[in-house]
Amino acid sequence: MSTNENSKVPQNETTWVAPKKTLAQRMKPYMGFYLMFLPVFIFVLIVYYWPMLGVRYAFYTYKLRDIHFIGLGNFAKLFAEKEFWSAFVNTLILSVGKLLLNTFVAVIISVFLNEMLNLFCKKFVQTIIYLPHFMSWAVVAAIFTLFLSTSSTGFVNETLKSWGWIKQSIDFLHSKALWRPIFYMIDLWKETGWGTVVFFATLSGIDPGLYEAAELDGATRLQKIRYVTMPALSNTIIIVLILNLAKVLNIFEPVFVLYNTRVLEVSDVISTYIYRKTFLTAIPDYGYTTAVGLFKSLVGMVLMLASDYASKRIRGRGIM
Amino acid sequence: MKKKLLSLVACAALLAGCGSSNSGGSADTPASGGTTNENGEYVLETLNITVDGTITATVDAGQAEFVQQWEEAVSEKIGHPIKLNITQLDHSDYSGTVSRTLTTGQPGDAGYPDALIMSASMLRQYQTTGLLWNLANAYDNAEFQSRVTLPSINMNLRTADGAQYGFAPTYGNGCVTYIKKGWLDAVGKTVDDIKTFDDYYALLKAFTTEDPDGDGTNKTYGVIAAGFAKLDEAPYINYMPEFWQGAYPSFYPNKDGVWVDGFAEDATIDALKRLNQAYKDGIIDPDTEEAGTKQAREKFFSNDQTTSEGVFTYWAGTWLRTLTDNMNKNEVKNQNGELEELVQLPPIKEIKDTVGGYINREAPTWVITDDGDGNDAREQAIFDALFETMLDGDKVQTLWTYGAEGVHWSTEAEEFTLNKGDAEKEKTYTYEAGQFHLRPNPNDPNSLWKKNHLDAVLVIAPLTNGFVDNDPLIQEGNAFFTANCVDAYPAASSATLTDYEADLAEAKKALVNKAVVGEITPEEAVQQYKDEFGSVSDTIVEELNSAAQ
Amino acid sequence: MQKKATTFDVILYIVFALLSLIIIVPIWKVVSDSFNAVGVYRFQLWPNDPTLGGYQTIFTTAKLFRPFLNSVITTVVGTFLGLALATLGGYVLNQYDMPGRSLLSYFLLITMIFSGGMIPEYLVMKQLHLVDSMWILVVKHGINVYNLVLMKNFFEGIPASLYEAAELDGCTPMQIFYKVVLPLSKAALASIGLMFAVTIWNDYSTVQIYITSPSQVNFQYQLRVMIMDGDTPTTAYKVSQNTLYYASIVCAILPFMVAYPFLQKYFVTGINAGAVKE
Repeated sequence: MSTNENSKVPQNETTWVAPKKTLAQRMKPYMGFYLMFLPVFIFVLIVYYWPMLGVRYAFYTYKLRDIHFIGLGNFAKLFAEKEFWSAFVNTLILSVGKLLLNTFVAVIISVFLNEMLNLFCKKFVQTIIYLPHFMSWAVVAAIFTLFLSTSSTGFVNETLKSWGWIKQSIDFLHSKALWRPIFYMIDLWKETGWGTVVFFATLSGIDPGLYEAAELDGATRLQKIRYVTMPALSNTIIIVLILNLAKVLNIFEPVFVLYNTRVLEVSDVISTYIYRKTFLTAIPDYGYTTAVGLFKSLVGMVLMLASDYASKRIRGRGIM
Repeated sequence: MKKKLLSLVACAALLAGCGSSNSGGSADTPASGGTTNENGEYVLETLNITVDGTITATVDAGQAEFVQQWEEAVSEKIGHPIKLNITQLDHSDYSGTVSRTLTTGQPGDAGYPDALIMSASMLRQYQTTGLLWNLANAYDNAEFQSRVTLPSINMNLRTADGAQYGFAPTYGNGCVTYIKKGWLDAVGKTVDDIKTFDDYYALLKAFTTEDPDGDGTNKTYGVIAAGFAKLDEAPYINYMPEFWQGAYPSFYPNKDGVWVDGFAEDATIDALKRLNQAYKDGIIDPDTEEAGTKQAREKFFSNDQTTSEGVFTYWAGTWLRTLTDNMNKNEVKNQNGELEELVQLPPIKEIKDTVGGYINREAPTWVITDDGDGNDAREQAIFDALFETMLDGDKVQTLWTYGAEGVHWSTEAEEFTLNKGDAEKEKTYTYEAGQFHLRPNPNDPNSLWKKNHLDAVLVIAPLTNGFVDNDPLIQEGNAFFTANCVDAYPAASSATLTDYEADLAEAKKALVNKAVVGEITPEEAVQQYKDEFGSVSDTIVEELNSAAQ
Repeated sequence: MQKKATTFDVILYIVFALLSLIIIVPIWKVVSDSFNAVGVYRFQLWPNDPTLGGYQTIFTTAKLFRPFLNSVITTVVGTFLGLALATLGGYVLNQYDMPGRSLLSYFLLITMIFSGGMIPEYLVMKQLHLVDSMWILVVKHGINVYNLVLMKNFFEGIPASLYEAAELDGCTPMQIFYKVVLPLSKAALASIGLMFAVTIWNDYSTVQIYITSPSQVNFQYQLRVMIMDGDTPTTAYKVSQNTLYYASIVCAILPFMVAYPFLQKYFVTGINAGAVKE
């Protein structure tokens, strides 16, 4: 490498340039592509990478103007915090539960809706079930909070009472036992229809010849579903699960707009915990909440790498 | 090649898009500040203030005119031009937004306030941080001193070593209990019948079960409030005093002057038992648990009285007028078809003359941010431009009290009619030249403007120009409150408390809610609190008592 | 066999009719109650005291016009920016032979698995003067790696032979991009554009965290404040509080509900085009 220190410069140059030239040669036809990527690069740098520098505050106390290094102090506090662990567990339960339920129901719906022969009806149902996706969580929460109120303005309780189904109003959104089921149901109502989209796409790509072949073999409709439709969907299901697995810790808005102090134990997730500690505390310690965020990111990273690995194993290709 | 150029241009355009959104986007608050003139004096050219909803001259309601008239009058007073920027924040997250602003900015930044409004609790949290300016001297030497009629309010804000970080231009005011007169009539009672908690409870029960609105169903409730207790803002119990009685769910100095943790006391258990019983009996609207103050009062004066409540404890004076106006606007009527009125309930026996009664809370304050340069020139200039003029007894104080001339009030001859075409509510107002009067509300042309930031009755140094709003209802309300109020406990201030305040408030709120709805017993609620926060509470009490000595 | 199939079909129709009802009834209840002057707190799906008062109140309130406009502006600008970045990025990532491609894709991938978190993001946005500015919505949502990857998947559906032909004709990457790729991806653009638009229009939490000035908030935020804090103007039109709530909910979902039947066609074809892969 460093044999010719000061002599035979030309020779030196040629030996050094040679490999570079091949890379440059390989890159040259792609110059236009690199340029096209530049704006993406810059935005990603600003919006995603710049904030990453801020994670150093995880090792600081950051209260008003008082910013000083404390090492791992925030993490020690974090791991000792009961409230945090409860939020961590809730995150997994709510997020994974919601993902599995949602995917499961979406698959069922798309498989059976695919069996519907009347094209108009099929389109009609699709149109209806996609609708709630376009409503924001703020709106959906507003609707269900109003509907499920225990006050005499709550239409669900009043209706059930007038039908004689219940005697006392049920406090759907404030009951520790009911909050999670209600949360799952609202989420199903809002997102499942949309979740079917990706499965429909796959279904429409299935070779009709496969069904014809199955029919010739004398398969019933249910058998066709079992032996043709489901195998075709399995890859998509796995992709959907894997792609979402990495995001399970990010759940925020659905919980944020529906939870309340009385069900904190079953509803508080990491992001809402961070939010409360950061924005609803009189004089917050940004260092501590950054540490919580960093921990969340790290666990999320592990999940992502796991799902990438799983994806490679299953379909021979990473998730990107 | 040309295309390559094009892609470059595309990139540049995107970047430019980003750039322009950065610069052009933010709400255009110029950097505040001043310069030093040739004589070495500090000249404050721009004043940034951050305020909450208590400035009622909002952007939709004549704020521009208010600012313009303020700038004119103050420039004249201080002898050089000055610009005023008001950042008005949403009340629901005022303290959070303020903490974000103060943490991530510094004096001189765009949007960093030179002065801002802080509640008494916020003041206690921030006064030890070094972010606020000690204005004790400036206050003592202020010109308005000679006219101050209520000196004790500001003296109470001083710390043990005589420092004062907040300035209270008015006293605090408090809440009184209002009852719908038509509902009282409907259940055959008068306020004179309500002497004790049992009377009060029976009244709420009657409102719930005896169909006071006359619609044939029992969907009404006795009472609503913004929370069973407001555990994050002193004086905590002011929206439901009859239920809380002697209990105080936070730190307070007891009758021997010793600080104690009120939430751990048996009185809290008793209060929770009363609330729990009332909740079980269905006389407290369940919406109370989640309602904010706006939601609670909207429901109280809603045009749909079939699901409303008969009793509401809310701010005294001006609010008696506002609540009544809103009921009238919504055509809330009694069973004889007349417009509904409110009556004020004198404190029941259990809370009369105790701090469980109608509490005169600690006043909200104005504070000045300290730039920490060791020189008071900037801060004194802010004091002179803002606080000194706010209580000038004249032009500027009128702006703060009633709003902008010609918009919110006028002294010119004029005649206007509110609720035109509504036979029942139509009213014409006629004024002669020189007669001070309030004009129609720019936000709601069918009612009169009431006040801006300062309440003329509560202010510590009264107006000297004789401008008075003679609304009998407001005067009646204020007189009633003054006759029945007691001063609140001073807010506790300790380092540990500041650290744990939010956690404590959150935990207490959850426990109170659970105990009231019956998920846990009141005893369990207090026990759980002691289990989790006992040692923290002890530390705080210790700190408070050692500071008091 | 034939008969069995019919029973099966009947069950299908019944189940999906029920499913549609579950979705549509809550929405219909909101719409119906928004036209009813008095609150109806029972199972009743038509207004018995019809009024437009709720809507009149909303549209005569100055406070609501500005947020609505802000929502429209940020949604339009953000969607265009988002599409530009997603198509550029997706197209470049599709060049599997490009040196450094995997590096770039890792560059993007990392952002999906690791983020600075709420506070560091807040501090950066503060530096960019985007705190308390509605443009935060455009910048924050303009770059979306997930949509970029989706876009890339769409592009994969375009037969490689088309690229090769264009390349042989001497087209530069940018030329291929907008002469070949974009025209073939209209459905994809509509679909992903829709995703951007929905995200930005519906964003509430960003506004909650970053924006404090009433002049900069969007409609979702205003709606939530109105309903949760009861900050409804109760002037003039004599309608119940709930009527106002429901009327504002309808206003918040109206743009997509109206546009949706037209967009859906593009949308479904778009998704299908993207899914056709080798």
